[in-house]
Amino acid sequence: MATINGYQGNTPVTAPAGTASKQPVSAAKTVDTQSVLKRLQSELMALMMSGDPGISAFPEEENIFCWKGTITGSKDTVFEGTEYKLSLSFPNDYPFKPPKVKFETGCFHPNVDVYGNICLDILQDKWSSAYDVRTILISIQSLLGEPNISSPLNTQAAQLWSNQEEYRKMVEKLYKPPPSA
Amino acid sequence: MEKVTPPPVGNVEILEALTAESIQQILESYNGFCSTTETLLNGARNLSVGPELVSHVRTLCTHGLHSLVIDHFLRALEVTFERDGVPQFWQHFDAYSDINHICENEVQGVLCKALEEICLEKQYQEKCLLMLVNALQTCKDNFSEGRWNSDAERAHLFSKYQLIVSSVLLSSLPPHFTEILHWYFKRRLEELSTTVDGEFKEEHEFEDRDEMDLDEKCKHRASGMDIDECQSQGNFSENNRLVKKIGKVVRDLRSLGFTSMTEDAYASAIFLLLKVKVHNMAGDDFRSSVLQSIKWWIQAVPLQFLNALLAYLGDTVTYDSPSGFKSPLANRSSFCYPGIDTPSEGLIRWELRLEYFAYETLQDLRIGKLFEIIVDYPESLAAIEDIKQCLEYTGQHSKLVDSFISALKYRLLTAGASTNDILHQYVSTIKALRTIDPTGVFLEAVGEPIRDYLRGRNDTIKCIVTMLTDGTGGNPNGSVNTGDSLLEELNRDEENQENVDLEDDFNTDDRQAWTNAVCWEPDPVEAEPLKGSRNRRKVDILGMIVGIIGSKEQLINEYRVMLAEKLLNKSDYDIDSEIRTLELLKIHFGESSMQRCEIMLNDLIDSKRTNTNIKATINKPFQTDTDALETGASLDIVNATIISSNFWPPIQDEALLVPDPVDQLLSEYAKRFHEIKTPRKLLWKKNLGTVKLELQFEDRAMQFMVAPIHAAIIMHFQDQTSWNSENLATAVGVPVYVLDRRINFWISKGIVAESLGANANEHVFTLAEGVVDTNKSGGSNGSCEEPLVGDDEGERSMASVEDQMHKEMTVYEKFILGMLTNFGSMALDRIHNTLKMFCIGDPPYDKSLQQLQGFLIGLVSEEKLELRDGMYFLKK
Repeated sequence: MATINGYQGNTPVTAPAGTASKQPVSAAKTVDTQSVLKRLQSELMALMMSGDPGISAFPEEENIFCWKGTITGSKDTVFEGTEYKLSLSFPNDYPFKPPKVKFETGCFHPNVDVYGNICLDILQDKWSSAYDVRTILISIQSLLGEPNISSPLNTQAAQLWSNQEEYRKMVEKLYKPPPSA
Repeated sequence: MEKVTPPPVGNVEILEALTAESIQQILESYNGFCSTTETLLNGARNLSVGPELVSHVRTLCTHGLHSLVIDHFLRALEVTFERDGVPQFWQHFDAYSDINHICENEVQGVLCKALEEICLEKQYQEKCLLMLVNALQTCKDNFSEGRWNSDAERAHLFSKYQLIVSSVLLSSLPPHFTEILHWYFKRRLEELSTTVDGEFKEEHEFEDRDEMDLDEKCKHRASGMDIDECQSQGNFSENNRLVKKIGKVVRDLRSLGFTSMTEDAYASAIFLLLKVKVHNMAGDDFRSSVLQSIKWWIQAVPLQFLNALLAYLGDTVTYDSPSGFKSPLANRSSFCYPGIDTPSEGLIRWELRLEYFAYETLQDLRIGKLFEIIVDYPESLAAIEDIKQCLEYTGQHSKLVDSFISALKYRLLTAGASTNDILHQYVSTIKALRTIDPTGVFLEAVGEPIRDYLRGRNDTIKCIVTMLTDGTGGNPNGSVNTGDSLLEELNRDEENQENVDLEDDFNTDDRQAWTNAVCWEPDPVEAEPLKGSRNRRKVDILGMIVGIIGSKEQLINEYRVMLAEKLLNKSDYDIDSEIRTLELLKIHFGESSMQRCEIMLNDLIDSKRTNTNIKATINKPFQTDTDALETGASLDIVNATIISSNFWPPIQDEALLVPDPVDQLLSEYAKRFHEIKTPRKLLWKKNLGTVKLELQFEDRAMQFMVAPIHAAIIMHFQDQTSWNSENLATAVGVPVYVLDRRINFWISKGIVAESLGANANEHVFTLAEGVVDTNKSGGSNGSCEEPLVGDDEGERSMASVEDQMHKEMTVYEKFILGMLTNFGSMALDRIHNTLKMFCIGDPPYDKSLQQLQGFLIGLVSEEKLELRDGMYFLKK
């Protein structure tokens, strides 16, 4: 609750200084914020209730626009047994713009750079408002097992991908399990 | 007035005047005095030596030696008494050193005899002493010319002698003597008590007789009164003799200096007897008040005894106006017993002591049994009134609270007691304690452990709601009418509310305010100041019951589920009693909180109307009429309960394929509904409701009230008498295990037989007995006799509150697991806050921190979570 109130507090609408000409604009914005909140709430509920294995996300304390995500490597892939933390930050005009998603845990993957940036089409130009947190997480999870070698961010990983055995060793060597804090 | 010459001064004067001759004279008379004393007290006991003694005393006194005379004489008396009287006296009791082997009559005689003997001895000695005193007096008169205060001297000497006697006796007192005394008084009092009791009984018998023949009442009374009086007088004189006998013993004992010991003995005997009497009278019967008869007995036995005793001993000091001490019963006693005049102060003190003791004894006895008494409530109201009176007198309320709480913990608040019983006892406790203490202070203390315990039980709410709504009570044996009593409470509550309105009215006139002010009483000292004044602490049973649950929302929710269940199982639309209950609940809980329940009831009322309207359309031709005719069933037999499902608690949904003919009927009903109520449509909950059906066999017809699934199952046997379980399950549209469970109903009625099929896992059900295909189902004409109600294995149509709760909790569980997956570890209040913030769907998170903690502990024990250092982790 505090978050929602706090967020509203930052928008011009509650500020008494707003002029008459600004009023309609800010009102429109408020409606947006409300619907974004609603959307994120229902996405959270859907995600919690879906219970898909290996993916999870939850809003960070006090701010429903910043989520922490968790993905575990699928079985029968080189990432089996690993767990990666993600951060998701939603723009104010979500779902019309995609959220910014980054790996928080280092991930040796052709489409993930050393800063954790992800090269995934649905997070950029292929984004649609029909996607949601759950589909994003599932996509990233499957991206781990099926990288797009043609447009790599990590060329070393892309070159090594063909040798799955070596790749697995590399993953194990570089993998640092996220601290459970 | 008179100066007493100090003897030493005299002595000095005399010494100066002494001559050899006078010394000689003194010696002679002293020797003479000694020997005469010896003869007087010992051996012959000859009073004739008196003159000789007197002359010797006189001689000695002339020489100023009277103190020597007195000392010697007293010393001689002491020695003689110690040597002769005392050992003899004690000897009598040697045989009774073991109190257990006392032979009753014997000891009574022995005591009297011994006392008589020793008193004779004492009297003799007193005579001797008197002689000496007289001698001293005469010589003093001559010698000192009346300067001597003879009376004071005599009193002084006699008290000295008395002191000697008692000290001699007490110093040689054998330990068992007090016991003997005690025992003696006990026996005598018992004797007295039995005669009085007999008298009492006779009186009662007489009264009974009186009541029996009313015609001759007057005649009898005239003659009967005389007899009665004669009898009681006779008894009274008999009692008097007995009391006199005792009085003599007491007087003798007193004269020997056993005053306090005697008083102790008869006081303890009286108290003991009173205690026994109270125990006998009170016993285990809580149905009658015993306080009055105990008071009566106190008047009749111990007080009468004491009165006679005190009168006999001459202690009675009659006051002209004893009103200061007067007990309210004093009048009555003097009226009943002409032997008692205005009671003396001592007697009234005794009366107050005895009454207090009786109150305390009865109170202790009743408090010890308070648990049973409350179990018997309201039959035990008399006993409760007794306790109330006793406590008003003794003020030992805290004793009651402590004892009752421990009894509760030991006997009621155990796993073995059913929640219903505990609630019943709780309600009785509230009612009983409300009688004892209208301010409710002690009730609060006593109720606390029960409430705490009940909070730990998960069926508490359900039981309470059943009690609230169900007139017959929630338990199957139906013996408890608690339900009635709670409904009654609801009613009472209504009245209270009206009264409160009146009281709150600011325009109440000043006179009323004045009356209130006059009636004001302070709270009992035990009241906790924090818990509000007595006005706010009005004892409200419903409030206390709801207090167990914590919030009325929970109670209302449970009530809603129960109401839904009840309404759905109704085959008529008769909801008068439900409406009444709801109105009462509305008064108590407020209109808005019962709104959903009201909608449910309105649904029923609307259903009735809609149903009638639909029935009215039957006569109009409709395209599917031909089908209905084929099956021989018409819409007449269908009655629908149409609910607005948004306002009803979640309904158990179970798949069920209704047999075609019935299904057609249902859909036709739905069509007609749609026609009347466009654009609304009817969605059938086919698994709910009841079916009244009749099975016709060759030789008999049977009627049943069953659940739709039972009806569906048996209807399939109409065309095919034998089914294997799998096919039947498909036909009915339920899983095989459900079918197996449900068909048991028909098997238990002997209508369907079960046998093993070709396949090991397969069961074959066959219609039992000389089977005929004329089974007719789907509910027949209304001429049912006594429809058997199919017991439904506790099947419920509504999702229970626990189910709902469980469902809610599973949502929370997912959230908790989700946040822990992403944040690693979290403390309890962070989980709580996060849930509050993000779990705002339907239902929103509304649990308390304690409830969450309980739930988390449950998850830990299910090994889903781990708890370390106050942080929760996912179990990996």
